[in-house]
Amino acid sequence: MPRIRAVTSSFRHQFLQFVAEPQWLIPNVILPFMITMVALIMFSGQQGNFVLYAVLGGGMMSMWGNTLYSSGWSIGSDRFNGTLEQILVTPSKLVWIIAGRSVWNALVGILNGVLIFVIAVSVYDADLTIRDPMLFFIAFFVTLLSLSMLGMLFCSAFVLTRQASVLTNGLEYPIYVGTGTMFPIAILPWWTNPLSLSLGPTWGIDAIRYAALDNYDGFSTGYWGDVGIMLALSFFYLAVAFVLFGVVEKKVRVDGSFVRY
Amino acid sequence: MSNYVSLSVRVFWSSAVLAKRALFSWLNPALWMMQLFFMSIFQIAFFVYVVKFAGGSTEADIAYVAIGNAISSVAYTAIFSVCNITGEEKQQGTLVEVLVTPANRFAMFVGRAMFQVFNGIATVFIALFYAWAVFGVDFSNTNWPALIAVIFIMTMAMVCLGLLLSSVGLYLRTSMIIANIFLFVGLLFSGVNFPVSKLPEVIQPFAYVFPLTYGTDAARAAVDGSSILQIGDLLMDMVISGGLALIVGFMIFKWFENLSRKKGTMDKF
Amino acid sequence: MQSSETVIDVKDLVRVYRSSTGFIKRVKKETLAVDNISFSVKCGELFGMLGPNGAGKTTTIKMMTTLLTPTSGHITVLGHDVVTDPMEVRKHIGLVLGGEKGLYYRVTARQNLRYFADLYGVPMNIREERINELLRKVDLSDRADERVEDFSRGMKQRLHLAKGLINDPEVIFLDEPTIGLDPQAARDARSMIKTLIEEGKTMLLTTHYMFEADELCDRIAVVNKGKVVALDSPKGLKSLLKDMSIIEVEGFGITAAEIDSIKKLDGVKTVTASMNEDKQVLRVQVCDSSELLTPVANRLGNSKVIGVRVKEPTLEDAYLWLVESDA
Repeated sequence: MPRIRAVTSSFRHQFLQFVAEPQWLIPNVILPFMITMVALIMFSGQQGNFVLYAVLGGGMMSMWGNTLYSSGWSIGSDRFNGTLEQILVTPSKLVWIIAGRSVWNALVGILNGVLIFVIAVSVYDADLTIRDPMLFFIAFFVTLLSLSMLGMLFCSAFVLTRQASVLTNGLEYPIYVGTGTMFPIAILPWWTNPLSLSLGPTWGIDAIRYAALDNYDGFSTGYWGDVGIMLALSFFYLAVAFVLFGVVEKKVRVDGSFVRY
Repeated sequence: MSNYVSLSVRVFWSSAVLAKRALFSWLNPALWMMQLFFMSIFQIAFFVYVVKFAGGSTEADIAYVAIGNAISSVAYTAIFSVCNITGEEKQQGTLVEVLVTPANRFAMFVGRAMFQVFNGIATVFIALFYAWAVFGVDFSNTNWPALIAVIFIMTMAMVCLGLLLSSVGLYLRTSMIIANIFLFVGLLFSGVNFPVSKLPEVIQPFAYVFPLTYGTDAARAAVDGSSILQIGDLLMDMVISGGLALIVGFMIFKWFENLSRKKGTMDKF
Repeated sequence: MQSSETVIDVKDLVRVYRSSTGFIKRVKKETLAVDNISFSVKCGELFGMLGPNGAGKTTTIKMMTTLLTPTSGHITVLGHDVVTDPMEVRKHIGLVLGGEKGLYYRVTARQNLRYFADLYGVPMNIREERINELLRKVDLSDRADERVEDFSRGMKQRLHLAKGLINDPEVIFLDEPTIGLDPQAARDARSMIKTLIEEGKTMLLTTHYMFEADELCDRIAVVNKGKVVALDSPKGLKSLLKDMSIIEVEGFGITAAEIDSIKKLDGVKTVTASMNEDKQVLRVQVCDSSELLTPVANRLGNSKVIGVRVKEPTLEDAYLWLVESDA
């Protein structure tokens, strides 16, 4: 059926919904903002460009928060409004609808990241010179891509629960810890590293730091290695999301609990 | 008179039970358990690693952050869940039904948050357990009666703050936004991760509006061995700030009720 | 317009809901919502489903519209199996659910329709034209660019109808389309349904309003406790009561005890009590009205009776008789 149209129209629809209630940006930005401010105070007096380090981490967190919330609400709001049945009964597959929404949500993520950046600059009057802007933007966009794919993956899991909003709240800190947004994952217990490395944004923040900070000593894969792995992971997420949506769509028709709120 | 009291008690009790049930249908028990056992440990972990990375490697540095975050985990229930009770009611349209009953308003107002007091106390104790078991905080000098008093009073005071916010939330279309904001302000303003004295001086007085600011200080003192008498001032401050929040919150609640009756817009905000 | 071609075919349909409650001890519960239903709907027909709440009507509609999988049995719509070929079915059907939900409130009526037009793959070159036409049809043209949240219930319901028609479906499922509408709005909705039938659409309708079913439907399935207890034309259903008539009593102060005593009379089938303005109205279904008129009146000795009439059974009487004799 009309795949591309389902994607583009869902993108536009999500945009319209966002414009109608832009205040929903606040929850996604508030925790990263608070944490960034806390980190700036805790890092003060350290050697090196810790301000930029904290701001990059904060931007990353706000994009993460956005991914979590929006993928949690992607379906949750439809379930709540009673529109879920209405979109399910159309011949467009759910996976394309969600894909379109995820792309818009990723763009909102940029807004979030920039917001943290701007606040930090204006409040802290900090030196936020990026070492290599070109590489920085490449890393930034690949990170966004991997976040939106991960968002789709989450979404397929969130479809099955009414408690997505609790899960999104519950997953916020674990992900901030696990992907090393404010510290290198090397200081985490070793057994958590496989989990960290399976998340694209872990590589994303490392690549972003390579591009932004002078003398950054990150993963041995280096900048391009990070970007490559992140891309590979993104496609992997997409593939898994695809399979999961198929399973989920079947399951919900069988158990009938899908549309109850 | 005694009839009036017993009726109020009944309203209080049924509001408490109802709020608990409402919470349960919204959060299924498994997810409630997750909130209870899962959220605090990652918050503590996050800031412990931040402080380690920032060069704070002494036991005292880690203990400071671990206890601060363990105490601040009360916000999940006291702020977030309490706000959510009204938010959910507004969304489901049951707010009108509740407000047309002749029940004692104050009992109803406070009763619905009751379950969250217990929930909050449990959350903090579990978080402190993690501080000890996972992050190696030394509790051997702890004055337990003092610590228990701190947690009990602080949770009550924070629930009062939550009620105040939920009253404010009545006026907003999306009350969850305010819940989200206040869920996290404590991290920055309440001496959770660093002393209030590190904040810009103009902001410092605001920090002392929140019961949590006294709670983190008092809890650390109790863990260091201070007795109830020694931290009496801090406990008193919490009682006052919580009490004020409760009074203001109830006034706003009543005001909203009158306003919405006049305008007939109870669910539209 | 009517042809004998079968559009919807439902065979031996069963649906069981499994749910679990409880925290420490999960208690599994099975509910039989639809219990071996079979019927078929012909092209151009308006087929009604009547039944009390929880009878299984909505569950059946959800299965026919691919939202739920049957536990067992088969459904084909326009020759496509709803389980194995749901996408093909979805292209050709429209679903209108009653009530206020099911629309995006934060965006306008036109944006709602546009989104669904895209999801249905309505060709781009006719999309705007069709949206305008539908908005005209449901009388929302001048409010098309306002947010749905500001709409009245009737307007939302009309928008629902427009949305259900966005893909120009051959088969339309209407689940209680007039629920909660004021009489004028409900009448408008009914006339729209009639127009659609004249255009050759096939429709399946559930409703609680008997006169609505009587007025609109070609055939009606009366559903109770997940089973079809009767399937006939409205006329045919009424003729089930052809040996019966209705004694209608209007009065004041009729007590429950009096109603009970009437129920116990030989030859009385069912008694229903309702209010008409300030009067009480009893409808007593009886086999022989001439024989029972006096006994019924006698049982009401202590209340003030202002009128007794003998009436022909209506669809509602037939429905009540069917549902109650099934109890």
